[in-house]
Amino acid sequence: MEGMARQKIPGGKLLTVKITYSSKIDSIQLLGDFFLYPESSLQLIESALVGMESSSTMEELSSKVAQVVAKNEIEMIGITPDSIAQTILMAVKR
Amino acid sequence: MKWRVLPLATHDAFYNMATDEAISDAIAQGKAPPTIRFYQWKPGAVSIGHFQSMNDEVNVGRCKSFGIDYVRRKTGGGAVYHAENGEITYSVIAPESLFPKGIIESYKVICGWVVDGLSEVGISSQFAPINDILVSGKKISGNAQTRRRGTLLQHGTILYDLNVEKMFSILKISNEKISDKMIKSVEERVTCVLRHKKVSEEALYKALLKGFTKGKEYEFGKLSANEIEKTSQLVKTVYKTQEWNFMR
Repeated sequence: MEGMARQKIPGGKLLTVKITYSSKIDSIQLLGDFFLYPESSLQLIESALVGMESSSTMEELSSKVAQVVAKNEIEMIGITPDSIAQTILMAVKR
Repeated sequence: MKWRVLPLATHDAFYNMATDEAISDAIAQGKAPPTIRFYQWKPGAVSIGHFQSMNDEVNVGRCKSFGIDYVRRKTGGGAVYHAENGEITYSVIAPESLFPKGIIESYKVICGWVVDGLSEVGISSQFAPINDILVSGKKISGNAQTRRRGTLLQHGTILYDLNVEKMFSILKISNEKISDKMIKSVEERVTCVLRHKKVSEEALYKALLKGFTKGKEYEFGKLSANEIEKTSQLVKTVYKTQEWNFMR
């Protein structure tokens, strides 16, 4: 299945999630007018999310993103691990 | 520390973006001084942020029919319509060590130079985190920063004139949304220099130059042969390519 969700993060930037999923997340794209340093690290975050259960909770998704952020010293401006997780949940129809 | 200032020049979108990256590379290699650059866009162009989708943000077909370029930036942030003679764009490219480590703090420093420049033409403005500059609560300048190999690149636009209808015809917003109400709402959120002071673009440029160079040792310069070569290479291999511009 395919899903898409977009939200303006309060006090932050616009985030769009485009996702294909079955029982797991098959592919995911994070798009928007946010800032991420280094820019190439967005792919690390997207890759880490692929393969997660599509029924994952907000805490599980947020924790996965936060792990990648910490491990790779990524700096996010305008989005957060929580807001990414929240937008994924909006994109996955349950 | 002596800064190099590249005076106001007009180029197409691909050259403009490639030049910023070429200078950034040269500074990272210790082959160029910290640089302040002013430029305009001809033909007019849309630039999108690093993480945006070209097809989601830009009416590419309409750009083609209007002869407007479209390009993806190295920096994050949103889609911007750079009208010919509608704005002045700047770039500040320098070792990271010259600026605060915090991203927002460094935005504040460089946006402060824009604020100083606008005050030279009698416009009072304020930095509004994350990356905007406002006049009476309306956006007059958008800015975007990236850091790579110890080098900071921040570029931003200062709106000189504004044509909301043209902007909407190029940025991808459905026709139904280009209602009077929508245009009015953008006009309530965005402003430009001409709505506050009747100054020429030349006067605005001189004012920005003053704001950006205040308290700095600087000289006017030009690109080195290496930077020119690198720019030309990046235009061909990155900024004009489908792979880059339609990456997302």
